[in-house]
Amino acid sequence: MIILQCPYCREQRTETELTYGGEAHIVRPHDLESVSHEQWTDYLFMRSNVKGLLTEQWCCAFGCGQWFKVLRNTVTHEVFQVVRFDTIPEGVQAIKGVAEDGRVPAGQVGL
Amino acid sequence: MTDRAGGYRLPRSGHIDRTRDLTFTFNGSKLRGHPGDTLATALLANGISVIGRSLKYHRPRGIFGIGLEDPNSLLAVRDAYGYDPAITAGQVRLVAGLEARSISGAPSAAFDVGAIAQLASGVIGAGFYYKTFMWPTWRLFEPIIRRATGFGRLQSRPNHRTVQHRHATCDVLVVGGGPAGLLTARSLKNTGLSIVVADDQPALGGSLRWETASVGEGTGSDFSRELVSELEADSAYTLLSSALVASAYENNVFTVVQSITDAGGRRGERHWVIRTRMVVLASGMIDRPLLFEGNDRPGIMLSSAVRRLIGEFGVAPAKRLGIYTNNDSAYLTAFGAKAAGIDVAAIIDTRAAQVAIHADEAQRLGVSCYFESNLAETFGYRRLRGVTVVGRDANKWRLDCDGLAISGGWTPLIHLASQRGMKPTYDPVSSMFLCPQLPSGWFAVGGAAGALDIETLLSQAESVARAISSSGAAAGAAKRQLCDGAEPNKRDLARATPCRIRAASFGSVEPAWLPDFRSPGKIYVDLQNDVKVSDIKLAALENYCSVEHLKRYTTLGMGTDQGRTSNINGLAIMGLLTGREVSAVGTTTFRPPYSGVSFATIANGRRGDLHSPRCYLPADAVHRRFGAVMKDFGWERPDWYRFSDAVREQAVGAELRAVREHVGVFDASPLGKIEITGPDARQFLAKFYVSNIGTLQPGRIRYSVMLREDGVIFDDGVVTCIAEGHFLANPTSRNAKGVAAWLERWRQTEWPSLRVAVILVTSNWATVAIAGPRARDLLQRLQPDFECDKLSFGHMQFREGRIGGVAGRVARVSFTGELQYEISVPARYGAALIERLLAPGAGLTPHPVGMEAWLRLRVEKGYIHVGSDTNGRTTPLDIGMASTVAKRHDDFIGKRSLSLPFATSPDREQLIGLTALDGMLQAGGRIMAAGHTRVPCPTDGYVTSACISPSLGRSIGLGLLERGHAREGESVLVYSAGNTVRCRVGRAAFYDPGDERLRA
Repeated sequence: MIILQCPYCREQRTETELTYGGEAHIVRPHDLESVSHEQWTDYLFMRSNVKGLLTEQWCCAFGCGQWFKVLRNTVTHEVFQVVRFDTIPEGVQAIKGVAEDGRVPAGQVGL
Repeated sequence: MTDRAGGYRLPRSGHIDRTRDLTFTFNGSKLRGHPGDTLATALLANGISVIGRSLKYHRPRGIFGIGLEDPNSLLAVRDAYGYDPAITAGQVRLVAGLEARSISGAPSAAFDVGAIAQLASGVIGAGFYYKTFMWPTWRLFEPIIRRATGFGRLQSRPNHRTVQHRHATCDVLVVGGGPAGLLTARSLKNTGLSIVVADDQPALGGSLRWETASVGEGTGSDFSRELVSELEADSAYTLLSSALVASAYENNVFTVVQSITDAGGRRGERHWVIRTRMVVLASGMIDRPLLFEGNDRPGIMLSSAVRRLIGEFGVAPAKRLGIYTNNDSAYLTAFGAKAAGIDVAAIIDTRAAQVAIHADEAQRLGVSCYFESNLAETFGYRRLRGVTVVGRDANKWRLDCDGLAISGGWTPLIHLASQRGMKPTYDPVSSMFLCPQLPSGWFAVGGAAGALDIETLLSQAESVARAISSSGAAAGAAKRQLCDGAEPNKRDLARATPCRIRAASFGSVEPAWLPDFRSPGKIYVDLQNDVKVSDIKLAALENYCSVEHLKRYTTLGMGTDQGRTSNINGLAIMGLLTGREVSAVGTTTFRPPYSGVSFATIANGRRGDLHSPRCYLPADAVHRRFGAVMKDFGWERPDWYRFSDAVREQAVGAELRAVREHVGVFDASPLGKIEITGPDARQFLAKFYVSNIGTLQPGRIRYSVMLREDGVIFDDGVVTCIAEGHFLANPTSRNAKGVAAWLERWRQTEWPSLRVAVILVTSNWATVAIAGPRARDLLQRLQPDFECDKLSFGHMQFREGRIGGVAGRVARVSFTGELQYEISVPARYGAALIERLLAPGAGLTPHPVGMEAWLRLRVEKGYIHVGSDTNGRTTPLDIGMASTVAKRHDDFIGKRSLSLPFATSPDREQLIGLTALDGMLQAGGRIMAAGHTRVPCPTDGYVTSACISPSLGRSIGLGLLERGHAREGESVLVYSAGNTVRCRVGRAAFYDPGDERLRA
């Protein structure tokens, strides 16, 4: 049972009050004309599935309703950073998930 | 020596109330016990030896331990408030009128015809079923074999236990209320920490309540009472009795199941979720059994259970007790039994005399001890009659006894740490599996930490308390300063009274895993699952040597007791057989919960009406007055309206006719309503719908579907442009919250720069649909302040204005295929609106219409119901919206997926209409593949919705059919519920395909 402090309303919320939204920093391709089938299905389905540190999307569903990002260890459930959605957790570039071109994606997965 | 009750109740000792009798039954016979007894101790006091039969060989089994560790005593128990199909007898507090039954043995546990299985025991070894029932297929035999196994029978009657849910947070959770837990807790006095102590027994005190100990002038149990009342008086402590800490989860969240009795004597359970910063594991330890031939006879018990039986419950386990041990703790059992007046036959010790620290005391008390001796076999069927001892010189002799206390060392109860992924390690000195590495913030004390004497326990408790208060005070101080800026109390360990408990030591152990292997087929390792040494041997022979394989192949430790008494012996034997050390064999992982937790407890009160909130229509009372038969559709909605003596089918028929021929009134209030406002609302909505919302003019309505990013239809409904920058979306009623959350998520995470707000307003508005050729006349009754004639208020248009005297909205849309208006007014006017619409007058007799008729009308029209007529693969291309998709040049969610090969494949299941040429269609019927006339056969699709069309007078349906769009006009066979129906494939539009009626 994870407890997170929502970076928007600043309240402590337990897992049951939150919604989990999967890995963050998944870039939605913009140019539909040029994107290949493979690039598109990678966007749809491929996730890094790390054993260790992962940046995730969470929503303060039963609180203020805001989406935010969490840097969490998927093995121990230890939470390292909870940041607003327009922020990238410190040091995350070095870990996972940011587009190769360095663009900072808004990062929503449409599934 | 003993009193009347079957002859096994001791005249003194124990914490039971001998002045009061409780009557209960076991397998129908009336027995008596006392308040303070558990079901297990009351049965033993009545001299009940056989309480059940073993799983596989139907051997008589008796009570082996008197707590949760007991593998044998699963009984079906009923009291005035409920029924437990299988519960460990030691966990049941005796109450008057309780009925207990054996759950194994036919016709009875004492006489079981299945015992004939013992004759076949040489054959039914590990893997027997898998090996034997291979041909022709295991599935053929599985149901029969399943019926012959398992514990207990369920009952369909509801139980009346109260179940409560509690959440709590604390600084320190102490698991176990024995001496280790209580003393550690007391050492944390005045630290400002909040402490919860939980123990699964009805009274806290643990072994202090039964072991022989003295504190100053008093006994151990006096001391435990003082300790408990001292802690209870302090508001920093919460003491939970009858509270089993069942599961440990990440971030120090624990679930605790507590038995409770309310003031009215009503029994129930309280399910706690406790979140703590630190954990003291003081869960104690249990005896490990010794193995020998015939070690499962009723009358053989764990040595610690015997001490507890005598000390806490005043019950003699036997008239003449033998003791078999490889350590010093069993001597204490002998002394306790002797002191209680029980005849102690002998102590058989596998060790040499010089290591036995209590041997002199035994001599003094006149208890004969035999060293370097083993047990070879046992006698007796329904109760132990004697054992054969093999002495130091291999001489054999018989020892008569009707009870045997065994102790083969100890097993610390470290399950909770194991649940958190900690690997226990074997300590060869104490011959125990311990958890030297604990999760952070966890501390172990007492038996759980392998303490074998009171001095070790006390020093552990002291040092753990010190560690907690130093780390805890810091964190606690920070917390308190956050709250009120106050300084934490200065902790004062020195002021706590030093504790001087005197109790005999458990001494030391010399492992004696197995005396020899002469008759491995008669030595039971796992009593609950009937796993014998021979089964482990077979597993080793067949190379199932790893612990995980051993467990699954033999079912060792897979019972409800999770192998508490059997695992370690099993591992050790596997080690011996494969030439490995015990430590090299490894252990299996314990998973939560520690003991069975019933679903009813987890579900709590969330059953029936409390499962989820019921949503009522604003006009609920009006509908009921009109005879509505309500049904749960997510909202409580009229399914149909009862009038005079009409049955459902007749009534629904009348509702259908009213809509097709006159006018029907349908409460559509649950229809989802989401307002999207802001300068970028149009641009925002266009990203979600397949139809182009970008071109929707104010006052106009458009139908569309919404996709997931993978192209699959997620919802459908109409979108209204109320004004520039103000839109209303109507998702399906069940999906309204989901759609609102979906829009909001994309708004926040993908398009945060768009100036738009998403607001769910479903329940702010009551919506009533009026449909039928006379709908316009009925609308006029409400005197709208806008023109309603055909030309000025056309199909798919929207008006805001005063209607029925209040500010309202009218949308001209159609779900039924008839002229239809949806009138929305603020929810508080909903009941009044319905009443006005349903009143007869001015040549109109509006008829109320329920869900059933409404849904049939749309099937006839061929309109889809997302989730019924679409599935998890259906795209807009499959439901005939390809041209709409093709018209869109800009992006929308899911668009790109529609050009993936999966979506463009010609073999897709596509939406079609089916008209039955003979027989009746049913939703779920399978469309048989072309060329097949008999089942079984491959199928090409299925019927998604079906009904009798009142207008066509025949059975029709919608379906998803492979390549369906290309197969119009084909004739197919549909198999449903045993019948084959011939159908014609057509477009999904049966009624008024030219849409003339709805444009009327």
